Amino acid sequence: MIEARGLTRSFGGRPAVEDLSFQVPEGKLCALLGPNGAGKTTTVRLLLGLLPPSSGQAEVAGYQLPGSDRSGAKLRAKTGLLTEAPGFYDRMSGRENLELFGRLYGLPVRELRRRSEEWLRRLELWEARDQPFGAWSKGMKQRLALIRAVLHEPPVLFLDEPTSGLDPAVAREVRDLIAGFRREGRTVLLCTHNLAEAEELADLVGILRRRMLAFGTPAALTAGLPRLAVRLAGSVAEEQWGSGAASAESLRSVAGVREVSLDRATLRLVVEDLARNTPAVVREVIRQGGDILSVQPLTPSLEEIYLRAVREEPA
Amino acid sequence: MNRAVLGLFVRKEFRDLRSNRQLWPAFFLLPAVSVFLPLLLLTLLPLLGDPARLGRDAGIDLLIQTVANDPTLRGGSLQERIARLLLRDLGLFYLLVGVILASGAAALALVREKEQRTLEPILATPIRDRDLLLAKLLAAIGPALLVAWGSALAGSLTGLAAGYWRTGKLILPTAGNLVGWTFLAPALTILAALAALRVSARFTDVPGATQFTGLVVVPVSLVIVALLGRPAMASPLVGITGSAVIGLLSVWLFNANARRFKREEILTRWR
Repeated sequence: MIEARGLTRSFGGRPAVEDLSFQVPEGKLCALLGPNGAGKTTTVRLLLGLLPPSSGQAEVAGYQLPGSDRSGAKLRAKTGLLTEAPGFYDRMSGRENLELFGRLYGLPVRELRRRSEEWLRRLELWEARDQPFGAWSKGMKQRLALIRAVLHEPPVLFLDEPTSGLDPAVAREVRDLIAGFRREGRTVLLCTHNLAEAEELADLVGILRRRMLAFGTPAALTAGLPRLAVRLAGSVAEEQWGSGAASAESLRSVAGVREVSLDRATLRLVVEDLARNTPAVVREVIRQGGDILSVQPLTPSLEEIYLRAVREEPA
Repeated sequence: MNRAVLGLFVRKEFRDLRSNRQLWPAFFLLPAVSVFLPLLLLTLLPLLGDPARLGRDAGIDLLIQTVANDPTLRGGSLQERIARLLLRDLGLFYLLVGVILASGAAALALVREKEQRTLEPILATPIRDRDLLLAKLLAAIGPALLVAWGSALAGSLTGLAAGYWRTGKLILPTAGNLVGWTFLAPALTILAALAALRVSARFTDVPGATQFTGLVVVPVSLVIVALLGRPAMASPLVGITGSAVIGLLSVWLFNANARRFKREEILTRWR
């Protein structure tokens, strides 16, 4: 479980993250979305105890932050980190790198070798295991970094831009692996700018730009703004809805309608509840003499939610 | 202190050193000079101890005066006494070997991890700051001391042979030499490595760290070696006392390094 309570971290008086409060229950995957410099990596470092917060607290895998050196070490034993850059030694082979980090996580040699082999085979890196890491492709390096993050079987995983710079096929593989981690019951905090990735994988989504702009399940975030597109027959629309003012006003008076706009021959409405409000809207348009070609409910995408949140918040 | 972690890092650093051919020349050059220097000095011995040049060469006058005033060099011919002085003071060079090699390796120890982006994954493991610093220190001083001691051994053997060739007598290392190499060399090497390690933690790029170490840490260390090393070569007591003082200074510096090893500073000052 990951819980942040008012986490704030400033550098030279300038806040990198401010008053972050959120909770990721055990076994859930939370995607942290945000533009570059939004504070995603700082958040991960704060939650790993690598950086002390300027104020606020957190609890990760049962350990309080900020905490002592000893509890920090115990916390890091219970967490796995995938950094944006793989961070291995180029001159050492893939297997040697893995064994070095596995030992740093305190794994006994025999168990470490068993798990290394199992993971290297599973991610199709076994054949290349003894080649210098520097000679590996980017996708292979990223897969090895994923293995390092889970080799000690941590209950909590922090994945910082795991698919950044990967070709689509490798990115797909990595996403499948991440989905697998969630199925195994691990709590995952995934930092990404990839909205489709977040939409596909996340149980919870946080939109971060120094502050947490929005946080919740993807369904809850997108359910806040149900929309309706009513396409009218062109000529009638021009004639009757051209100025739009009076007709739009009458639509606004329909219960549950929040916003109305006319874009060429399409009426766009923001309503409170699609199921309850759509029939009333249709009746009102017909009553006003509108010829309806189609009515389409529009569920806003995560991208819309994200862009709206980020645009509203000054950088 | 986690011995497994220490061993792991030391082995990793040794392996890295073995595969880093850029560092090899320093590790071969200094032992080679160690063998060459006694040979060179004793080859020049007839010139240095030439009574015909007395009063005409200020350097030789000073050398002969030093030999005459040093009670530990009494007995034997002038040339033999000069040879004993030269070989004894040459022992100082072997103190430098460790200092130079260890500070070079320590200067790279953390900054190279930053540059390779391996430091954050390391800091994300349960490793504690003191263990990481101690492992880096041991990895820097281990090979440096082995080379320093190897150089001292090789230099002593060359000195024995060259001394016998020039004076007909076996000129053994003095007690001051032995105490200096055994205790003072490690103490000075550790101190220089700790200073370089601090530089390595502060800097964000390898050239910056190596240049600062080369321009500040190494010269300051060499001054300390020169000030303390020469009297120590002449007197074992000075060597032991100096080692103890430097040892205490090193403990203080290690603790200061550990206290000032700010993960946040290291993680946020990357370029």
